[in-house]
Amino acid sequence: MRNPRWLLPALVATCVLFAAPLSLMLLGSVKSGEELARNPHGLFPENWAWSNYLEVFTSLPLGTYLRNTLLLCLGCVSGSLLSCSLVAYSLARIPWQGSRWLFGTVLLTLLLPWQVTMIPRFVLISELGLYDSLWAIILPCFLGDAFYIFLLRQFFLSLPQSLLDAGRLDGLSHWGLFWRIVVPLSYPALTAVGLFQFIETWNNFGGPLLYLSDPAKFPLASGLERFVSSYGDQTHLFLAAATIFTLPAFLLFFLAQRHFLGTASSGGIKG
Amino acid sequence: MLVAPPLNRETSAGLAFASPWLLGLLVLFAWPFAISLYWSFCHFDLINPPEPAGWANYQRIGRELWAGQGFGLALINTAYTILISVPLSILLGLVLATWLSYDLPGRGLFRAIIFLPSMVPVVAASVLWLWLLNPSDGWLNAALEWCGLPAQNWLTQSRSALSPESVQRLVSEPLANWKLAGSKDALVLMTLWGVGNYVVIYLAAMGDIPRSLYEAAALDGAGAWRRWCHVTLPMLSPVILFQLVVGIIRGVQTFTNVYLLSEGTGQPAGSLLTLSLQLFLAAFEDLQVGYASAIAWCLFVILAAATWALFRTSSAWVHYRTHT
Repeated sequence: MRNPRWLLPALVATCVLFAAPLSLMLLGSVKSGEELARNPHGLFPENWAWSNYLEVFTSLPLGTYLRNTLLLCLGCVSGSLLSCSLVAYSLARIPWQGSRWLFGTVLLTLLLPWQVTMIPRFVLISELGLYDSLWAIILPCFLGDAFYIFLLRQFFLSLPQSLLDAGRLDGLSHWGLFWRIVVPLSYPALTAVGLFQFIETWNNFGGPLLYLSDPAKFPLASGLERFVSSYGDQTHLFLAAATIFTLPAFLLFFLAQRHFLGTASSGGIKG
Repeated sequence: MLVAPPLNRETSAGLAFASPWLLGLLVLFAWPFAISLYWSFCHFDLINPPEPAGWANYQRIGRELWAGQGFGLALINTAYTILISVPLSILLGLVLATWLSYDLPGRGLFRAIIFLPSMVPVVAASVLWLWLLNPSDGWLNAALEWCGLPAQNWLTQSRSALSPESVQRLVSEPLANWKLAGSKDALVLMTLWGVGNYVVIYLAAMGDIPRSLYEAAALDGAGAWRRWCHVTLPMLSPVILFQLVVGIIRGVQTFTNVYLLSEGTGQPAGSLLTLSLQLFLAAFEDLQVGYASAIAWCLFVILAAATWALFRTSSAWVHYRTHT
C-alpha cells in the first residue's frame, strides 16, 4: 500500500512542534542576556555568545553541583547493581520456600505510591542522623529497588539451567554460581539497570529537596532550581545551565539509539 | 525440624541473598506503611511525639472535600490534569506511532525527534517550559499571536471553574479575548511534549502484530482506516490498558514539574496545588504530619480503587491474543 499523501507534511509539522522547545533552548543559550531582553523572539542570535557557558561556571558553583551529582550516581548505581542482582538471584535461581511470597512483595511495593512512605522515611533518615548527607539518598539504593529486581529476575530466569547445573557439579556454592556464571552472563541486563539508575539519580529532584538543605551538598537538579528561583532574570545563563544538565541524557540517547528505538530496523506495519 | 537438610541449606542461601530486600521491605515499606496509617490518626508536628486525635484529620479532609478547598481543591486539580492529559497522551501516542510506522524517508530522524523530549530531565524541562510559557514575552504566546489566536495567561492565572456565568461571559466576548488555558493546561502541554515514551511502546507493539491479519482484512475489502480500527486498535488494547494504568499512577504521583512550575507553592490561586504538592506542603511547610499522612492514605485508597476498577472493566475492551 502507498503512504497517504498528507502523511509527510503532517509528520514534518508535528516534528517541528516537538523539536521547537529544545531548539529554542539551544539557540537561547547562546544569545547574550541583553539580546534576549531586547528581542525575545528573534530566532537566531545576532552574536553567538558562547561565553554564556563559561559564565555559567563562574556565576554558580556548577563544579560542586556536578561533583555531588556524580557522587550520588556512583553510590546509587553501585548500590542498586549489588543489591538488586543478589535479590534477583535469590528469587530466580534459589529454590526456597519463601521466594514466591517474597517476589509477591516486590510486585506489591511497585503499586505503593511514594507519598505513603515519604514522611516515615524522612523521620527514619533524620533519626539515623543522615539528614543533609548524600547518604540519605544513597543508602536506600543498597536495599534494592522493586523495578530493577523484577527486571533482573526475568533476565536471570532466561539463563540456561544446564550452565548452573554444570557449575554445581564442579562444586560451586550459590555465591560461586552467582559471581562466576550468572553475573558474567548478565552484562546486558546489568548495564541496562545501571543506566536506568544513573538517569534516575541524575534527574532526581524530590530526594535532594527532602533530605538536603546545605547548598554545598546540592546536586545539579537542586542547584539549577535554586539558580532559577533566585536569578530568574538571567535567562541566558539558566538556559545554558539547563542545556548542560540535559547533555548526558542526549549523549546516552545517541549512543544507545538502537536500544531505545528498538523497532527502527523492523518493518512495522504498512497501511 | 521437619525440613530436610538440603532444603534448609537452600532456604538459608535464599534468605541470605534476599537479605537486602528483606531489610528494605521492613524498613522502607512495611514500617512506613503501618506508621503512616497510625500517624494519620494523630496530631504530629515532627518535633513533639504524636498525639492520638481520632478521626480529626479525616474529618478535616471531609470538610475540605465538601468546601472544595485544601484537599478538595487538590483532588479537583489532580483529577483535571489526569482526565485531560492521560487520554490525550494515549491518543497522541497512538496517532504518532501509526504515522511513524509507515515506511517514510527519514523515519529514523522523525522517531528521534519525537522521542528525544521524553529523555530531558524533568528539572531542565520545567525550567525550559517556564521560559516558553512566560505570559509577557514567552515563545508560546508569541506563536499563538502569530497564528491569530489570543495569548493565554499560562502560569499566571487560574482558569475559573466552569459555571453558567463564565460560559455566558465566554460566549459574549469576542474570540480574540478568550483566555481558555491556565496553569494546569501548561502541565498538560508539558506531558504531551514527553509523549515519546508511549510512542516507542506502541511502535514496538505494532511491530508484533502479525502481518497476516492485515492481509486478511485487506482481502475482505477493508481500507486503511478500518484496518486500523479493527486490527491495530484491538491488538494494541493490552498496551493501552497498561498505559492507562501507568498514566494514572504517574499523574497522581507527579511532583517535580508541579513544584517547579508553581515555584513550590501551588500558586497562582492554588491552581497547581495537586495532591502530591498539597501533601508535601502540609508535611514540611505546615508540619501537619498527621493531616499529610491522612492525605497520603486517601490518595493510596483512591489510586488502588481506580486501578482495580480499570482492571475489572478491562475485560470488556481489552483483547488478549490467545495464539499467534
